[in-house]
Amino acid sequence: MDTPVLLVVLPLLTAFSLGIIKTFSKKLVKAVTVISATVHLALIISVVREAMQSPIVYHLGDWDNLLGISLVIDSFSAMMALLVGVLSYGVIIYSLVYVDFHELKYYVLSFLLIAGVMGMSLTGDLFNLYVFFEIVSITSYALVAIKEEEASFEGAFKYLVMGMLSGTFVLLAIILTYQVTGALNFAQVAANFGDAPMLVRQTIFVFFLIGFGTKFCLVPLHAWLPDVYCGAPASFNALSSGIVIKASLYAFIRIVFLLFGMTAGIGQILIYWGVITFLVAHTLAYQQESLKRLLGYSSIAQIGYILLAIGLGTESGIIAGSYHIFNDGLMKATLFLGVGIFSYAVGASKIDDLRGLGFSMPKISFAFVIATLAIIGLPPFNGFISKWLILQAAWETEYIVAAFFIPVGSLLSLAYYLKVIKALYSRPEREIEVKPIDWKLRVPTYVLSAACLVMGIIPGLSLALIENIPKFLLDSSNYINLLLGR
Amino acid sequence: MEQTFLAIAVLFGLGLYIILTHQNLIKIAMGIGVMESAIILLFIILSYRPGGTAPILDADAQAYDLIVDPIPQALSLTAIVIGAGTTALMLALIIKIYNRYNTLYIDEIKKLKG
Repeated sequence: MDTPVLLVVLPLLTAFSLGIIKTFSKKLVKAVTVISATVHLALIISVVREAMQSPIVYHLGDWDNLLGISLVIDSFSAMMALLVGVLSYGVIIYSLVYVDFHELKYYVLSFLLIAGVMGMSLTGDLFNLYVFFEIVSITSYALVAIKEEEASFEGAFKYLVMGMLSGTFVLLAIILTYQVTGALNFAQVAANFGDAPMLVRQTIFVFFLIGFGTKFCLVPLHAWLPDVYCGAPASFNALSSGIVIKASLYAFIRIVFLLFGMTAGIGQILIYWGVITFLVAHTLAYQQESLKRLLGYSSIAQIGYILLAIGLGTESGIIAGSYHIFNDGLMKATLFLGVGIFSYAVGASKIDDLRGLGFSMPKISFAFVIATLAIIGLPPFNGFISKWLILQAAWETEYIVAAFFIPVGSLLSLAYYLKVIKALYSRPEREIEVKPIDWKLRVPTYVLSAACLVMGIIPGLSLALIENIPKFLLDSSNYINLLLGR
Repeated sequence: MEQTFLAIAVLFGLGLYIILTHQNLIKIAMGIGVMESAIILLFIILSYRPGGTAPILDADAQAYDLIVDPIPQALSLTAIVIGAGTTALMLALIIKIYNRYNTLYIDEIKKLKG
């Protein structure tokens, strides 16, 4: 069956056919968007179910696996694919009402973005990864600027310059890797990489860290993110925080495990850098007035937790880290979609603007509060489970300092999220007029926030999906054999 | 050979320097272009074999015993296309910014915003 490749090709095809469809009938655009997104989600679910039985390797164009490009769907890719599928479907439904500016361009760019993120999570080829990485970047720049406000142009330009720098470093790392291994296929690269001189290997690691680190907001390379989020539409923020940043992080984790293995040195860099990242981001988030900036800093903080967990390099650490990638996707998407609804209904953009909305929009506020409690890490929500797993994994490997700072980080985030919750449920100074909110805005938010609760009460649901991730990450020979078909 | 690598390093450094120090948006765009060209030159230099021919197979393919590595060349074409796309987007953004603020200097844009 050719379903794996359809996961990338279908959104790509939709993106380019939307323009043609619009010349025939303007009404068809939205219908085609919804149909394509639904089919895409169904395909993803079927592929993920298949990949859970046994990992899938798909050779594009039936080329030999050493010559052509392969798509590899092991547990980690399958988890990313599922996250991309769920979030992008929710956001597309949400956008049907939320987006009233440059509609056609918005959908074309969104589908290209989804295709790129999907490609990044599935590909088994280093240069192919770079191409998808750039597709994601370019569509992101354009989506940030799409509202044509002053903040969005400024954010987009900043994003573009940082993105170009990060792309250059990734490209440099890739060409150096090709030079020392003579291959671009992940399996061959991983097999030959050990022979390279130490200095070259370290250089390549640093270039990958700077390149992808700029994109997944490693402190101090994070400065672009809050400015970018301010000017972008909320639906893009949800996609960006949920899957775009995570895709870069995914690519980095995959490359580190394949090329270098999680040695003690690299592990320690990632662990302490992760701790610094979330402490700095939490502290900066506390000072923010603007909701989107606050959530942006909170996104950076979650990246810190994931890096810490992955850097531990143990089975439980990897499971905790990848579970947090999945959970943070759900929570952040809920929060940003909620903020989008608040700004759509009453034009709220600052924390103070939320005053009293808890009474005039009780259901949306409730869904929003569930996601905030989850991201702080309170039981019984999913954020608690993954943070607890990270804490446990850090404790087991005797990184006591790192383990100590995880609850400290949660306390800091409690401090600033309480400001938001307090504003929501304090009496307004005057009557608030609320625009009626369409079900297309409400339902994705409800579903995602319900998912936060369900994942917290029954963690077994998604843990079944990710329990095999360490098998392919920790022992890269498993991945190499899978890709080479041995 | 060493001079070429030195030239590439200088080009890359120049590009980075322009991006980090200049205030003019167009110059930042040019700096990015210079940096990208340095990378693409690196691609070509790394695949170069002195005296090698183009890697095209034909009937008497045996005649070639030294060919240049074709993969980096193919990759550099892709990199050029990506670079062109990003540069176009960046220039479009600069036009939009200029139309709004009537200036290309970052300082003045910040001042206008207050």
